Amino acid sequence: MSRLLTVDKLSSGYGLTPVLRSVSLHVDTGEVVAVVGANGVGKSTLLRTITGLLHPTHGDIQFDGMPIAGMPAHAIVGHGLAMVPEGGRLFMFMTVLENLELGAFGPTAREDVRRSLDEVMELFPILRQRRTQLAGSLSGGERQMCAIARALMSRPRMLMLDEPSLGLSPVMLEKVFDLIRSVAASRDLTVLLIEQNVADALDMANRAYVIEGGKIAKTGPGAELLHDPDIQRAYLGL
Amino acid sequence: MSKADSPEAAHADETPERAVAFADAPDPVLGLLPWRRVAVFYLAGLFAAIAPMGLLAHEFFWVNILTYTYLFAGLAVAWNIIAGFGGQFSLGHGVFFAVGAYTTVRLFLDWHLTPWLGLLPGALICAVAGPLIFWPTFRLKGSFFAIATLAFNQVAFVFANYFDSLTGGPRGLQVPFRAGTANMIFTSPDAYAVLMFGFMAMALAIVIVLMRSRLGYYLLAVREDEDAARAAGISVTRVKLRATALSAALTAIGGGLFAMYIRTIDPPTLFSLPDIGVKFALLTLIGGMGTIAGPVLGAFLIVPLESYFRAALGGAGPGVYLILLGAVMIAAALFMRRGVAGAIDAVWQRWRPARKK
Repeated sequence: MSRLLTVDKLSSGYGLTPVLRSVSLHVDTGEVVAVVGANGVGKSTLLRTITGLLHPTHGDIQFDGMPIAGMPAHAIVGHGLAMVPEGGRLFMFMTVLENLELGAFGPTAREDVRRSLDEVMELFPILRQRRTQLAGSLSGGERQMCAIARALMSRPRMLMLDEPSLGLSPVMLEKVFDLIRSVAASRDLTVLLIEQNVADALDMANRAYVIEGGKIAKTGPGAELLHDPDIQRAYLGL
Repeated sequence: MSKADSPEAAHADETPERAVAFADAPDPVLGLLPWRRVAVFYLAGLFAAIAPMGLLAHEFFWVNILTYTYLFAGLAVAWNIIAGFGGQFSLGHGVFFAVGAYTTVRLFLDWHLTPWLGLLPGALICAVAGPLIFWPTFRLKGSFFAIATLAFNQVAFVFANYFDSLTGGPRGLQVPFRAGTANMIFTSPDAYAVLMFGFMAMALAIVIVLMRSRLGYYLLAVREDEDAARAAGISVTRVKLRATALSAALTAIGGGLFAMYIRTIDPPTLFSLPDIGVKFALLTLIGGMGTIAGPVLGAFLIVPLESYFRAALGGAGPGVYLILLGAVMIAAALFMRRGVAGAIDAVWQRWRPARKK
């Protein structure tokens, strides 16, 4: 397995407020890795920094051997690292189809737009049914699927998801997580997801990192962390 | 199911550049109507706009008002590209207007270049300079962007006064009255009205095509949610700069036409905020931001009212016409929050289901 994403001693924050303090992590090709933690520990900041929406104050990020720290977000997407923002962030007054097509911005993605459309509608049949509806009329789970599908339209090698469980019912959550796992397996996609829903995220991930106060507190295989007494006490209420 | 699949089939036939537009869902900017219906709306709208010409031709007072209405409708349409669809509330478009005016007149006076061609260099300059001066400003959002672009207008005003070899300074530039089609100088006021009407029609056509293109959709995505657009891989800056280039170039053409109509241009006229720079915004706000027809409707409501009030009440006391105009605008802001276009849409939405039954 080769190393796809390496984050080395990364510090980042907003203005003068530091949030992440020297965070290091890595994701190998084909892995599903979760970053979990409570509110306000820097999970979203980490994701926003990796995807280029925020620029780091210190540290390096390498994607497939290429330094991407400080690169503009759309260029990072162009290199094959796509993001599903928190809550999906669909363009609500546009149709499902238009949302999907907007995901194919780069020149190579645009050439493949038809094939990509067919593929994502194969993956999410509900989107085919809903394709002419306005995105604002979708249910929470459908929105999440549409957002994932939009990210896949750029034909990424790696997908990053910010809180895919947000606002989903437990049944829907299970469905979305199943889909993420099957998409990862069937399309050779590497996945990094940020989650507050610690139990479900640890359950689905190959590996996980626990963030506390802007630092990595623990790391290990998902199943192992799930049975870690500290984690159980702090996050699972056991 | 086969019928439900038809958009896919249509999709396969479309060129990649057109791939975004689909034919069977509602959309606030006409983007998804079939081309034929768009053409019908467009031509019907143009017909309604030119109809007053037939009624009022040869009455200079009204033809003059119509000429300004068409011109400012076209200018508001141009402004709306970056401000209404792109969400960048520019108050600096007076600069592009002035550059267009000075360039056209300078080329005409010094090189005897026919204004028909002389409009283009100004448009080209603005298509390059507009993105250049807006680039640093795009980091600012909302009212901060508006204030920064307002400053461009004021700085350009000072420059225009100072560089009198180029602009004639405070004395301005005068175009001698040498009538002729090649000179874009006409003895009949009707001809100017038709000229401005053509400008408005062209601006509208460009915006209709733009909003059905990829760039139009990217622009809307950027306006709605910049971060989501970035996350979807859209180069936000590139999209804004392209829209700025188009908006600025059209504004410059409007400026050139304005100059050839009044034939005397000086800095206080061209950089006037209430009459030029802020007026584009005002007309569009009243008409409906981010709609195709809004800026035109706003111009047709405000420009004639303003001119008429000024003529009818100018003698009644200083500023009386402005008080009345202000009252109209307050009423528009209170009762038509989405502008004239939004109000018409609301009436239409209420009326349409009743008709279907």
